[in-house]
Amino acid sequence: MKSLVGVERVSRQYLLDHSQVTALAEVTLRVRQGEFLAVAGPSGSGKSTLLNLIGCIDRPSSGRIFLEDVDVTSLTASQLTALRREKLGFVFQTFNLIPVFTAWENVEYPLLLRHMPGRERRRRVAEALESVGLAGRAGHRPDLLSGGERQRVAVARAIVHRPALILADEPTANLDTANAAHLIELMRDLNRRFGQTFIFSTHDQRLLQRAQRVVRLCDGKLLDETTGEESDAQVLTAGF
Amino acid sequence: MRKFLLLAFRNVFRNRRRTLLTLVVVAGGVAGLLLVGGFFAQMFMGLRESTIRNGLGHLQIYNADHLRRDETRALEYGIDDWRQIASLVTGLPHVRGATPRVEFSGLVSNGMKSSVFMGNAVDPSGERDMGFAPSLTAGRDLDGVSAAGNEALLGAGLARSLNVKVGDGLTLLAVTANGALNGIDIDVVGIVTTGFKEMDDRLLRITVPAAQRLLETPRVTKLVVGLDDTRHTDPVYEDLSLRTAGLRQEIATKKWIELATFYRQVRVLFSGIFVFLGVIVLFMVVMSSANTLLMSLFERTREIGTMLAMGTPRSWIVGLFVLEAVITGAGGALAGVIAGNLLGALLNRANLQLPPPPGNTASMAFRVLHEPALMVGASVLVVLTLALASVLPAIRASRLQIAEALAHI
Repeated sequence: MKSLVGVERVSRQYLLDHSQVTALAEVTLRVRQGEFLAVAGPSGSGKSTLLNLIGCIDRPSSGRIFLEDVDVTSLTASQLTALRREKLGFVFQTFNLIPVFTAWENVEYPLLLRHMPGRERRRRVAEALESVGLAGRAGHRPDLLSGGERQRVAVARAIVHRPALILADEPTANLDTANAAHLIELMRDLNRRFGQTFIFSTHDQRLLQRAQRVVRLCDGKLLDETTGEESDAQVLTAGF
Repeated sequence: MRKFLLLAFRNVFRNRRRTLLTLVVVAGGVAGLLLVGGFFAQMFMGLRESTIRNGLGHLQIYNADHLRRDETRALEYGIDDWRQIASLVTGLPHVRGATPRVEFSGLVSNGMKSSVFMGNAVDPSGERDMGFAPSLTAGRDLDGVSAAGNEALLGAGLARSLNVKVGDGLTLLAVTANGALNGIDIDVVGIVTTGFKEMDDRLLRITVPAAQRLLETPRVTKLVVGLDDTRHTDPVYEDLSLRTAGLRQEIATKKWIELATFYRQVRVLFSGIFVFLGVIVLFMVVMSSANTLLMSLFERTREIGTMLAMGTPRSWIVGLFVLEAVITGAGGALAGVIAGNLLGALLNRANLQLPPPPGNTASMAFRVLHEPALMVGASVLVVLTLALASVLPAIRASRLQIAEALAHI
């Protein structure tokens, strides 16, 4: 299967109180199209940093990152903005929905950024909300939705423009057990049905079990890679 | 674009209490500007019309040399054939009439005491036709029927100085057009006030024929032209300039604004005060709205980070903040216009009287003019000011580091 993401010896250092902190050190990783990949590790291990770098919302201190064979580390800020708009979808731990928009409008937002015509936009939003089981809650604002519903709206928003890659940073961390299980099923189902690539960071053992591959980080370094319970022999090739 | 506008609109009312406070500040500023500006506009209009109707007229026609040179003798550069010019002028559209004036000076005596006077000779019926009625405190106006008679109106201060009352006789002395000294006897038929003490202390008004007898010349100093509406001044001026171009005597026309020095000074002074007040109001509006926008930026940091992460161009974020400021400004301006007009109407109904202005003897009514241009101007100014105040927070929002913004608590 074709490689979608390539991370080549990527490091990220921060300045914190005048001293340099290494959040990620020489990480190398390859993610293939259609993969359902988990990034695991304790707090501070560099999971979010890795996802931020792959998601082009942060720049590495060294190393290169490829997305569909494009070296994103060489792109300008406006090119990165366009790339995020076209190729990436995000699911955040705290949902991060626009509070003044309804569920429908939140899901519609990425399509508005792409200037998609109204009829096609409405069809896509309806499909996305249907696929996460929230067609009946489309007119509700986030504050009238439960935590699980909000996260499903966030997932619908992440997939509605059919991005090449969906990044989910601890998507179940703020959900109760039932909602977390439901979300895991939903993401896995979307991955299977539409072949969309998911990379997510998590502590959640249930979510790790549903991953095809688990990459473990510790102190900013890639510790090991294991195969999840739902591994697929076709997507197991990891690293360079 | 519609959704973007909707987003901005909903963001404005996200924190209703804070937005309401900002709207109150903006509306208060606009209402204040409208009240002050409306009062000034009413004052300017009142002063303009009273200046014109107190005898200045809308246009004044002179012998061109009168404006170029200093006269060495009385009426040396007066208008010769003023009747022909008056007839030409009164045939123009929007002209209510043209009446002659003679300006002169001399000594007035009651036999016991003499005083310098500033003479102003008029055609009483012509003045009345144009609505130039003197403000009488006693007696009557000059009689147009017996215009050849030696009647006079005296300024209140001059009458007081000479201890003269209506019906008393006085003697006028002046230097004639030939340089000789001449005198005529006059009867005081009325006492007038102009509202200006300095004028009232020197003013003397007689008929044109009487002045021409005193000065021994058939000339007049000028023709005063009255129009049906002050707004027609410029077109009539243009028309008049064309029609008087071929006359035997070179004629020069002056508009009322060129002659109303006091009006211009008052306007400059009060315009300056208005600008100063406007700056203070706008400063308050900027401070209030900038604070609101910065608080909004702080509260929405993660949301902005999310929007940027999803690929929202940074220019959209700037646009969103500016649009929110514009919506706030427009809402505040609308509320301010409504409040300003309501307050203005209430104050007008209260019929408040202000003390006489410096140099004036009559009290002034406090009235607020509902000026559409002022409403539009104040609203546009406030909206632009708010948009300007939002630029800095907007740029700060657009430059947020996405990863840091997403981690913002």
